[in-house]
Order: sequence, then structure tokens, then C-alpha cells
Amino acid sequence: MSDNMIEIADLTRFYGQTRVLDRINLTVKRGEVMGFLGPNGAGKTTTMRILAGLLAPTEGSVTVAGIDALEHPEAARARIGFLPEDPPIYDEMTVREYLAYLAGLRGVPGRERGAAVDKAMLRCGLTEVSERLLRNLSKGFRQRAAIAQAIVHGPDVVILDEPTVGLDPLQIREIRKLIRQLGGTHSVLLSTHILPEVRMTCDRVALIHKGRIVLEDTLEALDHRSRREGRLLVRWNNPPAEAELAALPGVARVERDDTHWVITPAPETDPIPPLLARSVAQGWDLRELSPASQDLEEIFVQLTQQEAAEDAAREAA
Amino acid sequence: MKAIWILAVREWRSLFLSPLAWSLLAVLFCICAYMFNSGVAHYQINQMQFQAYGRGGTGPSLTDWTVTPLLGNAAILLLLILPLITMRLIADEKRRRTWPALAASPISPTGIVLGKYLGLLLFLVVTVALLGLMPATLFLYGNPDPGQVLAGLLGLFLVAATFGAVGLAASSATENPIVAAVATFGILLLLWIVAWMGESSGTGMDRILAYASLINHYEKFLHGIVSTADLAYFILVSAGGLIFARQRLLAERLEGH
Repeated sequence: MSDNMIEIADLTRFYGQTRVLDRINLTVKRGEVMGFLGPNGAGKTTTMRILAGLLAPTEGSVTVAGIDALEHPEAARARIGFLPEDPPIYDEMTVREYLAYLAGLRGVPGRERGAAVDKAMLRCGLTEVSERLLRNLSKGFRQRAAIAQAIVHGPDVVILDEPTVGLDPLQIREIRKLIRQLGGTHSVLLSTHILPEVRMTCDRVALIHKGRIVLEDTLEALDHRSRREGRLLVRWNNPPAEAELAALPGVARVERDDTHWVITPAPETDPIPPLLARSVAQGWDLRELSPASQDLEEIFVQLTQQEAAEDAAREAA
Repeated sequence: MKAIWILAVREWRSLFLSPLAWSLLAVLFCICAYMFNSGVAHYQINQMQFQAYGRGGTGPSLTDWTVTPLLGNAAILLLLILPLITMRLIADEKRRRTWPALAASPISPTGIVLGKYLGLLLFLVVTVALLGLMPATLFLYGNPDPGQVLAGLLGLFLVAATFGAVGLAASSATENPIVAAVATFGILLLLWIVAWMGESSGTGMDRILAYASLINHYEKFLHGIVSTADLAYFILVSAGGLIFARQRLLAERLEGH
């Protein structure tokens, strides 16, 4: 079997005349956590609902654990656990009844069901509330129960649509830890608005904007890429005038934020030696010099604005 | 198959967990018990009059005077009550946002429809069996026609099952349970009264309307006649409802959002 647990190829989806997904390609490998980012209305939820089998694509193919999800939808769904945006909670059931019911529905045989439910409750921290009615549980516990239903049948692929929305910081931390644990044994596709969350939980990210994937890469590669641009963050106790810095060899641009100077080097040059030498010679009292890694938020904003600008240009033309 | 059964049992249990189903059943049984008692009282008066003035023959039939009106009225009550029970079957899962947990499970739309329907049928079996306790008491004191009573109960179950299939179809077409209930009620009432329009003349259209009318088929059962033609009617209408629901669920995957 191939190592790709999710393979989406040329996926297109229309709602009436509106194209919400435009030839999307996405793969998630075994044991990988993939962060799925994008502004509201970009197509994240639609993609996830198609993967979970709730919607049919207009065109394209979806393969889950090597099974063609359009040819054999039931077999593919048996390998998937799905947490929708709104937790699918049956208020009148206890946590144990709820998980046992859905485990059974998803093909966990009767004699293994108890153990599967216990395991899912343990992983999601639900053991202490196992006999309580879901109606009476707090939002955090309900969200955990909803996550537990997505993993109770031991699926290969777990799809989580904004799992930490509406939780308090402590709960968010626990859920992130859980997602981290899920990677490794399960392949996880995780949608979120919270960019630091991606850094904490994901191996790779895909950015979707207006129904198109505009970026797909590992976090390491993204960090690497931003470092290659080579911007530097510098702090002096006794900083010089801006013009003096700009005049240094190899410095293309100098900006200043609240605490640091941001120095952009000219292409193919290294401004660090002259910076150091001058700092020492002039007594600027250098306190900090580090590569400025472009954070996800900047990439996110940059890519979505770039798209918007291209669209505007296209319309003008 | 297993998944269908699990879904059916859960549906059946959730019906008995809901206060709505209990209160509706309580209303049904109170009214039926009242009607049954007055049926028995009428029969007794009639019986006495027959003994006083009768000229031969067997006298009024116990079954016709007590069981037939009971089951006939029970069907009308079910027409009023069942839409409120079936309205939740699918629409409520969507309204409460639990639908994705079900639809993302490895069960086909056909399986979902069959599981939900089977759960409802289990509920209806219990309902009809409990109603059957009233005629059953007659066997302690008199000689009702067991064949006719059983045919009537079978007829009532088929009527209820048909109502249920129509209700399931309506529930699959909307996210709003109340809309589902109103639509179900409208369709059932139409099925009930459609023969009234066809009674004026004997043309082909009238015959079709007469066949479409649910009450014509049910009355045969109440008189102890179980025929394939009437069985086929109930099975056809029920299957139509289930197929409609399945098609709705399939179309939803294509059109929905």
C-alpha cells in the first residue's frame, strides 16, 4: 500500500454556479499531522466534508488509505474519523453510551466495543465523566467527547475541523497534546484559524484561499525559506542613526519595529561582519542579533493578499 | 447489516427515552380506552334490545360493535399523532448537528433509511401490541372473532407503518421537524380522504382515486379480509416513502453544502 493515507487529486466542487473548490491537490502521509489553513469561506470545511463522505465532489478523486472513496464510499468511511465544526452530541446519552453506539455503527465488533470505548475515553480524558449525560457536561468535555467519537473506531485518518474553538486555554493545551499524540498512529488533517496552533501540532501545512491550494510545505521548509531571505533582527542599547545603518555595505533596507531593528540584506551579500565590526568600533552596545523568521501569520497574509492583488489585476485587464 | 440493526435499536430506544413519544402514547391510549369502553357499553344495550325484541339470527356481532370502531378510530388518532413522532427521525439529527456523525459512518443512505425505519417499526409493533390488549380482554367475557381481530390489528400495523414511511420521507426533506410534521400530516390526510373526490361517478380516474385511498384498504382488514391487493397497497406506499427518503439523502451529497 502506498504511504499516502489521504490523496486528493484535482478536486473541484460547485455549489450551484459558484466554484468553491478549484482543482485541489493534497496528500497526507501515514502518521503525519497536516495543518489546513485558510480564511473563512476559503473551502476548508467543504474539503473536509467531501473527505468525510458528507458531500460528493463535482470532479476529481479522493483516496483514503488506498481506497477510492467515490467507488467504495462505505469502505473508505470505515477508515475515517471526522470531527465536524459543531460537535455532534446526542444530549440524552451518557458518554459511554454515545461512544459505544458510534463505535458499533462504525463496525467495531460487540466484544471489542467496551475496550475501544475505554481507550478513547482514556485518551480524551473522559473516564471520570463516562456515566454522565452529555447534556450536563461542560463545553470542554463535550468537545472532547466529539473528538473521542472521531477516534473510537481506530480510524487510519482523522479529520478535525477546528477542534479547539470555544475552549479555555487549559483545555486547548490538552487538546493540542492529544492531536500531537494522534499523529504517529493516525494521519490527521486539522483545520484551524489559530496559527500558533499549527506550529505546535503540525508537521506540514496547506494554505487554501478561494478554493485553491496556494501553499503546501513542511513547517521546516517554511522556516528555512524565510531564513534564506536572510532578514536580521537586531537590538542595540545605544543605536545609531538610521542613515548610518543604511549606508553599511550589504544592507539593502532598514526598518524599525517597537523593540528591534529589522535589516534586510542586499542579494548575495552578508551584512553581519560589517555590522559586528561597526557595532564594536562605535560602541553601539549590541545586545541581540538573530535571523528574523517570517512567521506563519505573515506568510498567510502575504499569500492571501497576493492572490487578491492578482485577482484585481485580472479583473482590470 | 449490523450497522442497520444498531441504528434501529438506538432509534427505538431514543423514541422511548423521549417524553414526547410517551405523552403521545398516553393520549392515544386514554382516548382509545374511552372509545373502547363506550363501544362495549353500546354493544351491551344492543344485545339486551336484541334479546327483548329480536327475531332469530345471531344478534349483533361483538367484534363489529367493539373492535372495528376501536381500530378504525385508532388509525385516525395515529394519523394525528405519528407525524409528531416521525418528524424527528432525520430532520432532528440535522437540526441538532449530529447528522455528520451518522453520515460519516460506514453506512449507506439506504442503510440509514432502513435503520431509522426499522427502529420506528419496532416502536409501532409495541404500540399496536399494547392497543391489542383491549380487544384481548373481550376473550375473557365473550366470543369475538379472533381472525377478524387479528386481521384488524395487522391492518392497523400496516396503516401505522405506511404513515411512518411517509413521515420518514418528509423528515428527510427538511431540517425543520415542525415542517416535516405538517407535511406528513397533509400527505396522510390527503391519502385518507382522496376517495371522497372519487365517489361522484364511476370513471377510470375515480377508480384510481378509490384505489389510492388508504381507508378503503384498511376497512377490508377491519372486516377480517386480508387480500394481497390491499397488502400490496400498503407495501407500495411504504416503499415509495423509503425510496424518496433515500433519494433525498443521495441528492444531498450532490447538492448540499
